[in-house]
Amino acid sequence: MNKHQTTQKFSFKNLPVHIILIGMCIIWLVPTIGLLVTSFRPVQDINSSGWWTIFAKPKGAAEYQTYCASCHGDDGTALPEADLSDPNLVAQYKRSFTLLPSLNSEINGQPHMGSISVPDETQTANIIAYMKRMSGIDSSSKITLDNYIDAFTGYRGNNTYRADCASGNQSLDLYCDIRDLMNPRGMGRAFVNSLLVAIPSTIFPIFIAAFAAYAFSWMDFKGRQWLFALLVGLQVVPLQMTLIPISRLYAQLGLNGTFQGIWLFHTGFGLPYAIYLLRNFMGSLPKEVFESAYIDGASHWTAFRKLAMPLSVPALASLTIFQFLWIWNDLLVALVFLGGEHPVLTYQIGNMVTSLGAGWQMLTAAAFISMALPMLVFLLLQKYFVRGMLAGSVKG
Amino acid sequence: MNKKFWLPIALLAIFAMVLAACKPAQEAAPAEEEAAPAEEAVVEEDPCMGAKPGDEITLLYQWSGTEEEKLNAILAPFVEQCGVVLKPESTRDQALLDTKVQAGTPPDVAFWNVAQLEQYKDILIPMDTLGANGDNYADFFKDPGTIDGKWLGLPVKADIKTIIWYSPAVFEAKGYTVPTTWDELDALVEQMVANGDIPWSMGMESGDATGWTGSDFIQDILLVQQGPEYVMGLISGEIPYNDAGVKQAYETYGKWASNPVYTVGGAEGTLSTGFNDAILKVFSDPPEAMMVKQSGFAGGTIAAQYPDLVYGTDYDFFPVPGAKGLQGGADWLMAFNDTPAVRALVAYLSSLEGGANWAKASFDLSPNKGAAGNYVDPALIKKGEALANTTGFTPDLGDTIPGGFGSAEWAAIVSYVNGGDLDAALDSVAQAQAEALK
Repeated sequence: MNKHQTTQKFSFKNLPVHIILIGMCIIWLVPTIGLLVTSFRPVQDINSSGWWTIFAKPKGAAEYQTYCASCHGDDGTALPEADLSDPNLVAQYKRSFTLLPSLNSEINGQPHMGSISVPDETQTANIIAYMKRMSGIDSSSKITLDNYIDAFTGYRGNNTYRADCASGNQSLDLYCDIRDLMNPRGMGRAFVNSLLVAIPSTIFPIFIAAFAAYAFSWMDFKGRQWLFALLVGLQVVPLQMTLIPISRLYAQLGLNGTFQGIWLFHTGFGLPYAIYLLRNFMGSLPKEVFESAYIDGASHWTAFRKLAMPLSVPALASLTIFQFLWIWNDLLVALVFLGGEHPVLTYQIGNMVTSLGAGWQMLTAAAFISMALPMLVFLLLQKYFVRGMLAGSVKG
Repeated sequence: MNKKFWLPIALLAIFAMVLAACKPAQEAAPAEEEAAPAEEAVVEEDPCMGAKPGDEITLLYQWSGTEEEKLNAILAPFVEQCGVVLKPESTRDQALLDTKVQAGTPPDVAFWNVAQLEQYKDILIPMDTLGANGDNYADFFKDPGTIDGKWLGLPVKADIKTIIWYSPAVFEAKGYTVPTTWDELDALVEQMVANGDIPWSMGMESGDATGWTGSDFIQDILLVQQGPEYVMGLISGEIPYNDAGVKQAYETYGKWASNPVYTVGGAEGTLSTGFNDAILKVFSDPPEAMMVKQSGFAGGTIAAQYPDLVYGTDYDFFPVPGAKGLQGGADWLMAFNDTPAVRALVAYLSSLEGGANWAKASFDLSPNKGAAGNYVDPALIKKGEALANTTGFTPDLGDTIPGGFGSAEWAAIVSYVNGGDLDAALDSVAQAQAEALK
């Protein structure tokens, strides 16, 4: 595949295709990058300016140069009696409407601004922002890890996890040490829970489906085609329709809120498609291979283990990827059958914010935490995707 | 050939083991429940109502984030005293509650809207059965939770909506005074416009609930122009939603909400600005608008974004001038199961101590009389006083009328601000109102 790519020469014939592809990549990437940048910004910055301003020059520097630097100096200390780097002085000017009147007032019978026109409200606000930075009142960084830390630890206060722990008034269920990574309300624990749900729910149906697919492909028994058609038909059953009946059944069996319950559910709903896909793939394997194996005395078990499974790896891999991602991203089933008992990532992301949307800066970080594993799966297994999607589409 | 037969048997065995593993837990649960009431008779004065340490209560509520934190603080003394284990679940998806109820596995206790009291009136356990202390609640709080003569819901959290947030410092700098009548408010708005300031920040974007901020505003205008009886008439269905009084309120609202002279961004700004952003626009530097009408929670939004601003001097609120009575929302505790632990929880929350702890946690207002004098947050103290002194309390229309009324109301507001025909919009809401109250 690599060889093919490197020998391909660039030609202008392909230019429109390239432009469209690059354009599509940009359309997809820009929101993701925006989210990534936002996840590293402090909440106040997120609410007040766009993510692209993170690389902009400090706010107010230009305005300060225009209006103030000639008298107060670049560092604000040129006029000793009005030292703009003095935190006590700057603290008096919280807002533009506190600074503007004093800019309009007279000093020693002269207008404060001399011959320079008085800045407008927005410019004044920017000057204040700059003065706060200059005087050290505002020493906040533009980039922070707090959103990730808060999301991982399940911090639910009004400040940040680090600030609360530093001041010692953290909430009761936080220890302010490594144990908080496994806080039941945090994304760290949710990540583990998601793995506990997704891995067995991926392995079980595919394992069972592999047996079934072999049987449907290479074992002769009565009603085989009918049974297969029935299984394929099961795919049309909408999952949502079954939530209430299965929830009732689970209540009788004590399976609500347990991992076993959700494994069983995902296994059941994953099976029809998995059998369908694997059967078509195994059915398209060369018949001669199996026939010669049987003639040599191989049992079905040997043929399955030594022939069918190794030859079906591409189909199995792609099925694994799709089933895993579907379960990883599932909220509905997890909400109904696991809920607050063992919160998974999708459930916990929604609980980061209050019912009125406060605290949504943690959502950005939480989204990236939940995205991390699927992205890794994509990057590591991407060669199986294209093959996987074609699996079973052409029957030999 | 032998192996072929073993496969399905092995698989069946796996499933059997999985199921068997869960079985004992299920069998143990009813035994506990049966044992508990027997104990209850023995210990009569027990604040835990016979609940044993380790008893579980499943909770379902819409709160999350910092709200959940505050709820935990409120319930901490109860959990410590009785040793009850809380099993909370948080979602804003009402379908989950409905699914759980229909599946026969409802939570022991749900904190939800008043409309669900009506929806589940046949299966909820009345508060009197559970031993709630009704004396600690004003009648106007108990009434909405009383369905067909049975008191089904305990109001635990309340918020008042008939208030307008502003910056006293900006008002002083610009020479504006807080209005005390609707005419004064009108004059103030015109004065601001004449000075080149934008009076309102009315943004109401809220995903698929866009419009609720507008519905709060319109209900407040109704309280000014018509009074609380009129609003209660709308809730009971005596007054159809396409009545002339409602239309007048919409027109008063629409004059401001769709004009860029009166509100940030005009109609487009009203429809596309998030309600949290709309609050912040009044307190940004320089302020983009002078006032925002929003519920009590706005104070928290402002404090989170501008930690250096001080309540009372930099941000404050005044009641909607001329409003007769208050509009407010409440969250209701409803019980689906009658267990000792649930009784203990209800007893705790309806006690004066429970009300006091709710107030101390600063989780909005508590309708419980025990809350009075226990608020620590200055904004909550002021809101608590307003609530205690109100002459009439009207619940939020959209929360109270069940079915699709709320979303129909929001859709009508969005369509009207967007320039749609008002009469047609009101007719469709009136239809939803008639269907909901049939």
